[in-house]
Amino acid sequence: MNPRTAKSLLVAVIALAVLVFPWIVNSSYWLNLVNLAISFSIACLGLNIVLGYAGQLSLAQAAFWGVGAYTSALVATRLGVSAWPGMIAAFAVAGLFGVLLGIPTLKLTGHYLAMTTIGFGVILQLILINAIWLTNGSDGITKIPSPRIGSIELKDPSSFFYLAAITLILLTWASIRLKGSRIGRAFLAIQGNEMAAETVGIDTTYYKVVAFALSAAYAGFGGALFAHSGSHYISPDTFSFDQSVLLLVMAVLGGNGSAVGAVVGAVLLTLLPEVLRFLKDSYMMFYAAGIILIMIFMPGGIAGLIQLLPVSQRLRVWWNQGSATTQQVAAALAAGKPARGSLPAAVVNGPGANGTLLTLKGLAKYFGGLKAVDGVDIEVRRGEIQALIGPNGSGKTTILNMLSGLYVPTGGAILLEGTTITGRKPHVIAAHGVSRTFQNIRLFGELTVLDNVLIGQHGRSKAGVTSSVLQPSSQQAEEAAMRGKALEMLEFVGLRGKEFARANSLPYGQQRLLELARALASDPKLLLLDEPAAGLNAAETETLVELLLQIRDQGITILLVEHDMSLVMNVSDHIIVLNFGKKIAEGSAEAIEKNQEVIDAYLGTEVGNA
Amino acid sequence: MDWPTNLQMLTAGLAMGSIYALVALGFVLIFNAVGVVNFAQGEFVMVPAFVAVWLMDMLKIPFGLIYLITVIFMGIFGIVFQRVAYYPLRNRTFLPVIISTIGVSIFLRNGAQVVFGAEPLLMHRPTPPNVLKITGVFVDPQYIVIIVCTLALLAFQYFFFEKTSLGKKMQATAQDKEMARLLGIRVATMIAITFAYSSILGAAAGILIGPIFYVTKEMGGLLGLKAFCSSIVGGFGSVPGAVLGGIFLGIVEVFAAYYISSAYRDAFAFIMLILVLLFRPQGFFGEKIAQKA
Amino acid sequence: MLKVEGIETWYGAIQALKGISLEVEREEIVALLGANGAGKSTTIKTITGLLKPAKGRIEFLGQDITGREAEDIAEAGIACVPEGRRVFAGLSVMDNLMLGTTPRKHASRTEIQRDLDRVFTLFPMLKEFRDRLGWQLSGGQQQMLAIGRGLMTGAKLLLLDEPSLGLAPVLVQEVFKVIKEINTTGTTILLVEQNARMALLIANRGFVLETGRVMLADTATNLLANEEMKAHYLGAHAHIKEARERRRRL
Repeated sequence: MNPRTAKSLLVAVIALAVLVFPWIVNSSYWLNLVNLAISFSIACLGLNIVLGYAGQLSLAQAAFWGVGAYTSALVATRLGVSAWPGMIAAFAVAGLFGVLLGIPTLKLTGHYLAMTTIGFGVILQLILINAIWLTNGSDGITKIPSPRIGSIELKDPSSFFYLAAITLILLTWASIRLKGSRIGRAFLAIQGNEMAAETVGIDTTYYKVVAFALSAAYAGFGGALFAHSGSHYISPDTFSFDQSVLLLVMAVLGGNGSAVGAVVGAVLLTLLPEVLRFLKDSYMMFYAAGIILIMIFMPGGIAGLIQLLPVSQRLRVWWNQGSATTQQVAAALAAGKPARGSLPAAVVNGPGANGTLLTLKGLAKYFGGLKAVDGVDIEVRRGEIQALIGPNGSGKTTILNMLSGLYVPTGGAILLEGTTITGRKPHVIAAHGVSRTFQNIRLFGELTVLDNVLIGQHGRSKAGVTSSVLQPSSQQAEEAAMRGKALEMLEFVGLRGKEFARANSLPYGQQRLLELARALASDPKLLLLDEPAAGLNAAETETLVELLLQIRDQGITILLVEHDMSLVMNVSDHIIVLNFGKKIAEGSAEAIEKNQEVIDAYLGTEVGNA
Repeated sequence: MDWPTNLQMLTAGLAMGSIYALVALGFVLIFNAVGVVNFAQGEFVMVPAFVAVWLMDMLKIPFGLIYLITVIFMGIFGIVFQRVAYYPLRNRTFLPVIISTIGVSIFLRNGAQVVFGAEPLLMHRPTPPNVLKITGVFVDPQYIVIIVCTLALLAFQYFFFEKTSLGKKMQATAQDKEMARLLGIRVATMIAITFAYSSILGAAAGILIGPIFYVTKEMGGLLGLKAFCSSIVGGFGSVPGAVLGGIFLGIVEVFAAYYISSAYRDAFAFIMLILVLLFRPQGFFGEKIAQKA
Repeated sequence: MLKVEGIETWYGAIQALKGISLEVEREEIVALLGANGAGKSTTIKTITGLLKPAKGRIEFLGQDITGREAEDIAEAGIACVPEGRRVFAGLSVMDNLMLGTTPRKHASRTEIQRDLDRVFTLFPMLKEFRDRLGWQLSGGQQQMLAIGRGLMTGAKLLLLDEPSLGLAPVLVQEVFKVIKEINTTGTTILLVEQNARMALLIANRGFVLETGRVMLADTATNLLANEEMKAHYLGAHAHIKEARERRRRL
């Protein structure tokens, strides 16, 4: 059976299962429970987006669920309309609240972020309890109407189930689509390595807010479903911090980052208490002990566990056979190109007309009293390889960080092709055509080699959230073009055949090559390399030298910081030597080698009579 | 301005603030030692409260002895907690650890229910409630007890950390674990002691506040969260910051509940938190949070 | 006194040390030199027990200390003044110094007082600032404190990792003078330094590392005169020059 048939079969099986489910489970009680589980699942799908994809811990998910429930209930009961406008409003209003939460928390990470989301949730719940004029306070809202389709009221659990199941399937499908798209990759990049994501051109601020908004919107819709089903009654007690914790546990149990996992986790933890009723009061203790044990032994959750099984690897390979990606990769391999290709000609703007690409004027960076960079003037000519060298603490990496936007200079100016980029944000500088690699490799380790290079092209692509989910032909064409480019880059650095390997699994030298490929994928004008030879052996350094020369010959300007003198001497057209934050010499390799001041800086000077 | 009422509220605020300070201290000590935020810190207050009440009902011995037994129990509890909940996860990222400590919190809360029942319990008071009158208003003497005991505890802590060799070693471990090891300081032992001491602080808080509020399984929940807020407000990672942040929050809460809104009493801690994180993330006494390239 | 044989140490996926062997004799000053990233600090960390070697052997005073814990190695008599000084910023000068005595299990009060007096004689400034907190000291003062703390351990072997880093030239002079003096009173020293010349002026012998291997080992006098030293720091190796020529001709 080929995957395409399997996919159609799967759809048919799911459709059939949904259809007959209420007949098989003939009890109102259990169907209500299933509907509740679905409502939770949708909230967990939302949590999966903000936490599983984008890596931002939100402990306010129950609050958004509540916002959705209340919005929908209020619209239906106060305005006397059917359930549908309420449900759509729930999605939108909750999403808006998500933006509201997202914005102030942008600079926060880890437990500060967690606490802020908790605070947000607590405050929202208090508002629900106390804004009696709006929400009816602790009495809650009763007699929430069921949705109607024409003249049919989806009043009993089995008919509601159809609505719930269909929306769940659609939202799960949307999540999965999102994950494999440009937006999903941006989220994963932020989780994987936020700093690298910024320098690659991803506006992390914007995307984090989008993640919060989407997750809140999902939760809001789930809450709306909750309000219009079951007991048709909501009260503020339900939407507590403990509930947010429960949703978090469901998502993590299912497997952080897996949409299907989120659903499985939610269903399991909704139905489990029923099954384990015999444990009575001790149930929660077992539940809690279970959480701790899962964190110790199974941090990847159920999805993580399943993914580890060898049979699932083979299943995944087989399933992906028909995908556009696999076919494109296979075609490239089959075309029998040489093992290491050359950079496609005229990659950027042709072999450079000589001219200054980058100017640093009086650039300075002070950290309190420490003058890391103290008034440096540098001119980098287009199409050259320039090296920045100097002993430890001379300011080289600081300059590179200022060039890529990670540090804001204390003084001076940086001009790229005449445009001032001093102090701009990293993703903005990336958009101007600057790419970089890092001293301690910053790859998106959990993602595939191919994905890493695709993310490198984020700034040169456009697809937004809607196109990423619906995937019209324009989006598919963009993806195919990006893949093609990525494959060319991988071929150039010599990583052909490794497209689907996890970036972390590559040996060290190849990880460096991958970082280079990612940096080249955005068609940069200027490539900043921070100790590209660190940790490489002699053979790998030779390869790197070849690659750098080829890159330069295609017109890309390179500025590299390096300690490995063999690389520097071999590759540089021009060398600049720093010491104590100032430029002490510049010139060709021969000149630098003989420069007494440089020798003194490295070997040390005799100070006084020791 | 109704000064007697204000005085009454100030006393109450100082008392609550002292409790927040004790719990916040517990947080900060653990965080400084091992870099972990303990979401079960509130339960470190709830558990000893239950233990003390139970002992009071079971044994007819003087309260002082009961307090002592409770404190020793919590010391051991802290070491067990470190072994079970923190140690297996010490090299993981922060998410598994947060969830694990949340798991412990849930376990302890429901464990308390299983062992002690779902009814709120009343802890016997060491001081009678209505005997103290200052400027014409009744002030609960337990507040005074709380404030005095907290001051005594802080004094002891200051003495221990600043004047004893063991205290200095613990400070060194918190400041630079690797360097401490290079000097032969047994870092694992220091960490165990930190957890034990942090739990003992919780015991103190539980014993002090038990007589005023009902002892329930939920008493630690909001308390822990608010104490965490106050340590961030004071400057996360700073010991004096935790104390001052706690006291500050206690007073602000009482007055805000009276003058602004008592319905939103529980929100003020979090509003303060959000404001501080937005405008002065290092708190009043802490250091700036930075990231290197 | 210290014998290091064939040490291989890994930093995650990178092999930082590829077979380091060196010895330090009693009452010597031995310099460990090399460009940045050559493996000097990794060697120190392996000796002190913060890193465990994958292969090789370390022997100290006849005892095998390979793979032992850092706390035990400190008690065995090896003290370290690590890179970046690392004084306890929140504790006073006096506290820092007294914490240095932690590994000494059998020292008497008189012995400790004697060592304290010795430290104060070497660094009179520390006596004056005994109550100042670590963060209040300047870089040079912190360096003095770190060395003083190392001396308080009564250790027989003192490892110094980049003591001149970040210090003004005048202070560098001070520091090296002190190191020489410490040595004349009986402490053996293994000194890691970027400032090769200064180190070699006070050392008896030196080892030059490059990418995880010992490339040169000789007396200090010989190393100072050796032109090859430049090659190891500035990449002026003959084979690199050849490669460059080849490329240019292409």
